Amino acid sequence: MKKNLIIKNFFIYFFAIFVFFIMFFPLYGLILTSIQPENIIRSRNLSFFPTEIIFSHFAEVLKPNHISNLYEGMKNSLIVSFFTSFLCLILGFPAAYSLSRLNLPAKNLILGALISIYFLPTILFVIPLFVILVSYQLDDTILSLVIPYTAFTLPFIIWILKSFIDKLPIEVEEAAKIDGCSILQLLLYIIFPLLRPGLIAAFIFAFILSWVEFLTPLIFTNNLKISTVALGLFRSTIDIKIGQQAAAAIITLIPVTILMIFFQQYITRVVLSGSDK
Amino acid sequence: MIDLSNQSNNSHIKFSREKILAFSLIFPSLILVFITYLYPAIFTFVISFAEYDIIRLKIKKFIQFKNFEFLINNYFFTSSVLRTIYFGLLICVCTTIFSFLIAILLNEKFIGKAFLRVMIVLPWAVPSVVSGVLWGQMFHADIGFLNALLYKLGIIAEYKIWLADPLIALHVIAIAEIWKAIPFMTLFFLSGLQSLPSETFEAAAVDGANVFHRFFYILFPLMLPIAIPLFLIQFVLAMKSFDTIFVLTRGGPGGGTTTLNYFIYQEAFETFNLGRASAAAYVLLVITLAVVLIPSISRYIMKFFWGNK
Repeated sequence: MKKNLIIKNFFIYFFAIFVFFIMFFPLYGLILTSIQPENIIRSRNLSFFPTEIIFSHFAEVLKPNHISNLYEGMKNSLIVSFFTSFLCLILGFPAAYSLSRLNLPAKNLILGALISIYFLPTILFVIPLFVILVSYQLDDTILSLVIPYTAFTLPFIIWILKSFIDKLPIEVEEAAKIDGCSILQLLLYIIFPLLRPGLIAAFIFAFILSWVEFLTPLIFTNNLKISTVALGLFRSTIDIKIGQQAAAAIITLIPVTILMIFFQQYITRVVLSGSDK
Repeated sequence: MIDLSNQSNNSHIKFSREKILAFSLIFPSLILVFITYLYPAIFTFVISFAEYDIIRLKIKKFIQFKNFEFLINNYFFTSSVLRTIYFGLLICVCTTIFSFLIAILLNEKFIGKAFLRVMIVLPWAVPSVVSGVLWGQMFHADIGFLNALLYKLGIIAEYKIWLADPLIALHVIAIAEIWKAIPFMTLFFLSGLQSLPSETFEAAAVDGANVFHRFFYILFPLMLPIAIPLFLIQFVLAMKSFDTIFVLTRGGPGGGTTTLNYFIYQEAFETFNLGRASAAAYVLLVITLAVVLIPSISRYIMKFFWGNK
């Protein structure tokens, strides 16, 4: 029995290390490339540890007139992602409450339609939106990104918030209603504080989803007046400096990774709430 | 008597008022979502039967099914449809298997588990453009780790240009997609595993079932209801993949990595043939809907043939 346990443990650790390498090595390779001088990267000596560490690639990429325009892209992406997440919460919170608790006609139909929309191919909607934006000369503006992002993300956000509201104890709301609380007061003073984990999770999801979006800005900002991080990174791949390209990738990655690591429990909770139905 | 009717009347008003309230809370969201989805969907449908003038932004003329006819007779289109299906299947089969195994691993107790979980979830937050750049560098002809490693081990005699071969390039893209898709599915599988009753496994172990028996006869059937929807969702998401293809190969070499989604993009925004692109987009939509609807249809058929199970 004890021998069995040792074999089992051996397998577990072996597999764990294997998985760790597969999942983490690509990221490690990227970090390695971003902090080494170009001539070492290009030399054919295989080394998995940095021999000379420099940070000039990062400095180079963040310069205002760099080809990737990453500084500008970061700024735009931050603005767009924040606006999108706020809009999603403001619109999604009452909608989710209505879907979860109120007597809404055709509730299941609406929820089903919202969820299935999320899985439809984005390109189907992008073509006409492009035509509309161009004809009203709204392309290449922050607005032309915020509105589609919000629409693309909102169904998902409503679903997340709804599953969180479903779990709140209904007694609190009933007591508040008996005390003469109006629906707005109920939403603002009772549900809002109780729902804080759900709102944080939804905010993070909306933020990450708009940060990583690539197809929409690629098409809607075709005159390159405004750029996002993802676009900037893509533009850096045209250049042949591998180190700078890796540095740009790391910079694109950092904000979402920090969010991910700090708020991992919220993300896990979303998954848990989704799977026990 | 009067009192009672009054009361019921009151409650009726209250009832409909709640409906109005419920509707007004969800109304702004619905407006936004339907304007950015429903109107475009109709628009795409209409121009898939037309020639669209991209400069004057209006419909030139209606040409019935010519767009669809062109697509069906176009070798690039038909091969990209088949490629999309192969690509989607490859990604979701591999992702499901790997995620399931990793979830089983994370369900065990070992030192450093919390750390490993963070590391496994990390690729989900990696923007797919970054993942494209990342794998592009891994498989790079000059500086890629893969070439260096294989060369050192003596497996290849000289550095290979991986992305120049269409078939290898397609699989490199698939690897990038799988790597990015594993985290989310693993979390779903993990939460499914944690909700399983542990008594079943203990009872089976007492009855003398070995690891493989337990895996195939107990764990596998119990996880199937979770695995099937995840599998289908992954298929749909794989068909939507665009960023990785755009960054790694731009559909090349020789159209060898053009999936349907990328084909639509090229038709719409490189050759500006919006009519054809819209027709192709509707083909993609039909495939997507078919995949999404498979479970409910198959359930219906099962019910029809085998009764209520």
